[in-house]
Parts: sequence; C-alpha cells; structure tokens
Amino acid sequence: MYEGLSSPNIHTPHNMAEYSSIITHYPSSTLWAGGTFIMTRPDAYPSKVMNAEVIYLGEIEELHRFQRNDRFAEFGAMVTLDEVMSAGKAVLPKVLTDNIMEIGSKLITRRATIGGAICTKELTTSFPGTLVALDANVEVRIIKKKRLHSRWLQLTRLLDRNGTIVLPPQSMISRVRIAFSDKNCQFFRSVGALMTSPEDSMAVAFTASLDQDVLNNPTIAFTYPNHGILYSRDIDNVFSSLRFPLDEREFRSLEMIIFTFIDSTFQELSPLQKVRTRGVLRALVDELNEKTLTMPSQM
Amino acid sequence: MKIDCSIDGRTLTLSLNSNKPLSLILSENIGDGSAVNHCKGQMCGLCAVLVDGKPMLSCMVPAFEIRGKEIITFEGFQKTRGMKDIEKAYEMVGAAPCPDCYESKTMIFESLISDGVSEPDEILKELSIIRCHCLDPEDAVKIVLKGIDIRRKRRVRRS
Repeated sequence: MYEGLSSPNIHTPHNMAEYSSIITHYPSSTLWAGGTFIMTRPDAYPSKVMNAEVIYLGEIEELHRFQRNDRFAEFGAMVTLDEVMSAGKAVLPKVLTDNIMEIGSKLITRRATIGGAICTKELTTSFPGTLVALDANVEVRIIKKKRLHSRWLQLTRLLDRNGTIVLPPQSMISRVRIAFSDKNCQFFRSVGALMTSPEDSMAVAFTASLDQDVLNNPTIAFTYPNHGILYSRDIDNVFSSLRFPLDEREFRSLEMIIFTFIDSTFQELSPLQKVRTRGVLRALVDELNEKTLTMPSQM
Repeated sequence: MKIDCSIDGRTLTLSLNSNKPLSLILSENIGDGSAVNHCKGQMCGLCAVLVDGKPMLSCMVPAFEIRGKEIITFEGFQKTRGMKDIEKAYEMVGAAPCPDCYESKTMIFESLISDGVSEPDEILKELSIIRCHCLDPEDAVKIVLKGIDIRRKRRVRRS
C-alpha cells in the first residue's frame, strides 16, 4: 500500500561538516533523531509532503557523546533517555531521573533522545520543562552564510511568550549541559499520559534549596503538552518570599497567584488540567511543609 | 529505496518507501500473520519485535533504520528454543498473556529473560507499554524469574 507515493530522501551525515553541507542544500529538511515524535503523528506515513528531505542524525558520532566533570554533565543531542539514566543515575539531579523514570517503558526511553525531546514541534514529554527547572544550557548550531556556528544558550532563553521552545531556522541543538545541583528540594510529578492524551495531562518540575523555613533559588516549571511550558521568574520570587510550613490560608493565596500566571499565559487549559495542577501544587506544598518540619534545626 | 535486512533469519532486499513503519512492512511486504494492525502511534504496545535483540515497537521504526539490522518477529521466535523456555515458564507459573497481547508480551519477556533482568520494578516498567492488563503483575515477575531460571539450567546442562 502507498508504495507508489514518493519516498522521502534520507540523508545520513556522519559528521557535522556533512550535516552542514546537507542542510545548506536542503534548508527545509526534517531532522530525524529518535523518531518517537515523528512516527507517532497520524500523518507520519504515507508522507503528505512530496520530495521530502530527511536528515537522520543517528550516524553523527559527535551527537552520541557524553562527558562529565565535577560541575556538570554534557550530553550529545542523540543520547537516548535510557543512556542518560545509565550514564548518570548516581550524579544527575533527582528531578531529572524521576522524570525519565516517569516517561515509562524502556521501549520508549531507548529510542527517545535528549535533543529530540527538546526540539519537537509539540511537547511529547515533560523533559524540556524539567531541563528549564534545572537551568540547563544547550548548544545551538546554526547555519549562517553557509557556515556552521555554535552558541551556548540557557534553555529558558529559547522559550517564547507562549511557552514553546523556538529555535532559529536551520538550527539544531547539538549538546545539552546539565549542572549538578546541590539543591535539597527536588520535586517532579507528571499526571496523565503526555504522549497520548496531551489535552488532559500536565507535569511540574521544582528545585530549590530549603534553608530552615525559606527557599533559596526556587525554580518551577509547569508543562502542559498541548500548550507549552510555563516558567516565570515572578513565580520563583513568590516561592522565595514564603515561609514554610504554609497553612491552608497561605496555600490558597499561593494557589491563586499561580493560577493568575497560568491563566494569563494559557487561556484554554482543560478543567482536568486545572484540577491536576491544583493537586500537584498541594502535593508540592505538603512535601515542603513536611521537609521544613522534619529538618534538624541548626544551632 | 532498497533496504537489506534480516527478518527471522532470512536475508532480504526490500524495495520500500523510506519512512514506512516496520509494522506495516511486516504485515504488507513480508506477510507476517503475527504482526498486528498499525495503531498509528497510539502506543498500544502490541507490535513489539526484537531489533538486534532489543524489543522495539515496530510502528516506531522507519524502514531506513532497519538497514543491516536483524529483526525477529513472534512468528520467527516461536520456532526457537527460547520460546519453549517461555512456554514452560507460563506453564509453571500457571498464567499466560491473553491472545490479544500474547505475541508482544512474549517478545518483551524474551528480552527481559535474555538480559537477566530480575528487578520487579524494571520488569513491570518494561511491560507497562502494553495497555492490556490481562496478566497479574506478580505473575509477570514470576514468569521472568522462572524463565531466567529455566534458561540458566538449560545452559548448565548443555555445557
């Protein structure tokens, strides 16, 4: 069936120089990392686009590299989520490993790549939100005047006003750098199936250092797969201004402030997403309250 | 696009659309009766095959990625000794997957047994891709552990 249709041309560069020359010749080509996003689209096959060009990144050795030192871990964009887990389970921030565990079966994490998870047009995992909460940096490779340039950027800088990650045209993410975190409060929750029912699911990634009853450097990112990532310094500042444990009245006012931000960014959240966000916020505050009350006091 | 690969031990050269999913290649080009309908990425988990020994959802593997790879489908696998080990494990535990997910779960059990995965959480996580809940989680863990045991004993006997 469909064999008469035109078959996409697959380019398999073996290094970045080859990639650069292919992308210069075919600027509108589709980049193929693990394929978990592309293959799950309803129109993945047969391809509606005639004479489609696909660049398969799996053969570029540079994109499979993983290195770490005492400050950060650096992953090539083609490192799979399963490899991320096996390479750095002991050293990577808990929020990141929790997120990968939450994604599910190894049948998925063995194919999904770290670069692909960030660059997909629609969010299929909560992974980019967690990287935002961890203040990860990404290396963006961009073609300018037929030459490949490289630039390290904070992932938060690639987020637009609508919460989607926007890359410049003809660019790709080649490496992701995650700093080892000494934050003692790391929280990740994902509710619903982000891949198969994006309209009902959501995820929250939170990191902070809890010092007695205040949070230092809190960062929180909400992921709504059908809308985008909600990250705001203002929400982080709200968390820094709190003194834990919070009572019911304080929790309600925090919830109200956060929902004001959420509603101003994403107007059409489904009722289920709102209920789930409330539940996850409650779980986060409960955990922070518990941590504050059980933390040994410093003399 | 011409693609050379090995399916169930047969070396084949196939002329295919480069982005055709492996699940469709198996059912349309190879005529594999065990290949289930293409769920179009809804992740039903029922199309697992072994690609170079690792379980993968065949609906997620495009044709260009199978070049030079060794694919084992349930149809090919059921003629092997490995299948006998798993059938024996089903019998000893007294539980087996339902006919809907039998092929896919068996392929995943095979990969877990051959990798020697004995951690219950890991076993259940790997199986979580299949939405069918016909098998009790405890039984699923027992099947894998029994399968590992049967295979180890068989290897000892052979050596």
